[in-house]
Amino acid sequence: MDAKRTPPPPTPPNPNPSVIGSGAAADGGGFGRGEAAAATKHMLAFHFLRALSRIHRATPVTRRTRTIRRAAYSSMARAASPRRAWSRALLGQVRARRSRTLMRRAAVLVRRRVVAAPAPSPASARGVRIIAAGETSAAARAVPPPPRQQGEPPRAEALRRLVPGGAGMEYSSLLEETADYLRSLRAQVQLMQGLVDLFSYQ
Amino acid sequence: MSSRRSSRGSISEEEINELISKLQSLLPNSRRRGSSQASTTKLLKETCNYIKSLHREVDDLSDRLSDLMATMDHNSPGAEIIRSILRS
Repeated sequence: MDAKRTPPPPTPPNPNPSVIGSGAAADGGGFGRGEAAAATKHMLAFHFLRALSRIHRATPVTRRTRTIRRAAYSSMARAASPRRAWSRALLGQVRARRSRTLMRRAAVLVRRRVVAAPAPSPASARGVRIIAAGETSAAARAVPPPPRQQGEPPRAEALRRLVPGGAGMEYSSLLEETADYLRSLRAQVQLMQGLVDLFSYQ
Repeated sequence: MSSRRSSRGSISEEEINELISKLQSLLPNSRRRGSSQASTTKLLKETCNYIKSLHREVDDLSDRLSDLMATMDHNSPGAEIIRSILRS
């Protein structure tokens, strides 16, 4: 219920959306734990609401759900500390997807220059696979996971597949990253639930 | 991160148990259990299930937000609230 009264987020120090250091404020030495958590929530709300305002203007209805889900995960990653491996893994996926999109657009442009008439969209564009949030990037998947460390329980393997970037982590790092990822996921779910409640009452 | 870990020597059993306890406190309906291998496996299973359920909630809420935005007028109070938050 308090989520509906989300206080205005602080203005980020750098308006450049690609800067991931804006979440570093939450790790300032002077911050207490509560203050750090509040700052992170404000940053999370800022990133997600800004993405929502852009989606509203630019995105056709059929693609909106997918775009909102991607905005949710990239907002989580941007609001998190840049030292977190799961955050860097998610942002790496965002950049990889963006570069693939740009390459496809460049291919279409080249084709249009060669042919006088406008060319139809390449068939490969339809077959693009969505990278799920819990799925590791292609580069990480190419590397075989490290052999199970001493004392690592069998269930840790499933956890590695769910936490972004988990494939390459030591067991102890995996546990730390999982805890931080869980906190961010819960905060994101609370934020989105609050927005749904807010919009539903109009 | 790996090099930093290895330079400190192998991580101790005590530190692993500390991380397990921290993870346990984040799970819903978490109960205090022993630190045996079997209970750790069960804890990790619950953690996996919890992450999956949160992923599903993000999917469901994305769907609902998409529907709500489709019906939202550009001048509605919700849109105005978003703009005022972004302006501050």
